[in-house]
Amino acid sequence: MAEKNFTGLAVEINKASFSYNNIKALDGLSLKVPAGISFGLLGPNGAGKTTLIRLLVGLLKPKSGNVQILGQTPSRKTTHNIGYMPQLHSLYAELSVMQNVNFFAQIYGLSNKHERAQRVEEAIKLVNMWQRRKDSILKLSGGMKQRVSLACAVVHNPPLLFLDEPTVGLDPELRVTFWEHFAALTQQGITLIISSHTMDDAAHCDRLAFMRDGKVIAQGTPGELQQATGQPGATLEDAFLYFIHREDSSDS
Amino acid sequence: MIPNQALTIAARIIQQLIRDRRTMALIVVVPLVVMTLIGLSFPESNVLDYIAPALLATLALFFSFLLTGISFLRERSQGTMERLMASPVSRLDIVVGYLFGFFIFALTQTLIILLFTIYVLDVHYYGDLWQIFVFQVVIIAGAVNLGIFISTFARNEFQMVQFIPLIIIPQIFLCGVIWPVEQMPDYLQWLSVILPLTYAVDGLRDIMLAGRSLLDVGLELAVLIGFAIIISALAAITLRRGAAS
Repeated sequence: MAEKNFTGLAVEINKASFSYNNIKALDGLSLKVPAGISFGLLGPNGAGKTTLIRLLVGLLKPKSGNVQILGQTPSRKTTHNIGYMPQLHSLYAELSVMQNVNFFAQIYGLSNKHERAQRVEEAIKLVNMWQRRKDSILKLSGGMKQRVSLACAVVHNPPLLFLDEPTVGLDPELRVTFWEHFAALTQQGITLIISSHTMDDAAHCDRLAFMRDGKVIAQGTPGELQQATGQPGATLEDAFLYFIHREDSSDS
Repeated sequence: MIPNQALTIAARIIQQLIRDRRTMALIVVVPLVVMTLIGLSFPESNVLDYIAPALLATLALFFSFLLTGISFLRERSQGTMERLMASPVSRLDIVVGYLFGFFIFALTQTLIILLFTIYVLDVHYYGDLWQIFVFQVVIIAGAVNLGIFISTFARNEFQMVQFIPLIIIPQIFLCGVIWPVEQMPDYLQWLSVILPLTYAVDGLRDIMLAGRSLLDVGLELAVLIGFAIIISALAAITLRRGAAS
């Protein structure tokens, strides 16, 4: 397993492009994410956020350009160092919470029974699902499934975590709880890459990249992006619209 | 030696199916209902004796293909395959894990059909029971892999269901289940040569009706083993395409 306090870049993308048949999903995208922070990929549906995450976890390969995570090209070797929470719940419905988390712990090579049991317990407790550990996924609400899905992604203690729209469909209270979980993870030195299309999520991230049409149109801390608009009291939504207009006027 | 990751996947599949009690009940009941209906529809026992080996081969292929194909597709549509593909597990581990996981259930179904055919429908046979069973094990291995392979071409359950008539029904008509292959036009006989059910039916008939041994049906056995290996390799190769779609 890679060092938690990896000091280089967690993610480095250089002019990466990807298309599904003839539809461009990523268009020469470049991005650098330092280790140990929470980094938000913000943009509307279809901006290329999921494609970018799939490229970083090694499910897709860029058609051109290159992608590196923790200093290596994504491959089977790098999978030990990443946790991935896909957009769907991606859980085995018939199995219990514990059986799901335990299965992914085994898949990620936690072969020592005692250590695995401890990690499974920690991951389930992190998402406050210990009371429901014996319940099958079928009996859980959507929000609970999201929490179990997060537990499956963190059970092997990866230094880099990719969360694809983790707060979608959650009520405001649960959304706050999720951000508390994420803060606990970054405090442990884990790098979080979180995709979202809501500006509520954006405010919680250490740094952000605004995405549109497969490109990064702006990046920085939430404060820097708000300041760039030049309007006092600008929200992140204002900042996003500002960069979209700036992009449109430079294209025309 | 089966790799640990494949065993983990197989154990998870078994756990999952055991917790799904309705599916477990259907796995046992459906073949019994089908075999009872088939048995009742053949009043002449000598006709049933002749058709039984072909039926055993066809049902082993059909049930194993169906069980694996649908389950594997579900793994993709619910997103768990994407999660597995982003993990350290290899594609071969996934295919081998699935093969072993479903093998147990396909084997149980096949054993139920075989014992019901022999002891309840009273079908006469000459070969050894264990040799009949071993031959069926090889048929199931190919069928389970075929289910995995074909499911990578379907994006939802409706599409998968369309593959059933395409894969299974032509084999029933072209592989000597109903009438001998030799009575078909030359070009269809050539087609039957590349279909696995032809070898499954020939081999089981030779063992059950002529009392031959597994060694005597070595050619059929070798073709079926070769088919299982090639299809499992193809299933592993096409897996990424399926998961990413």
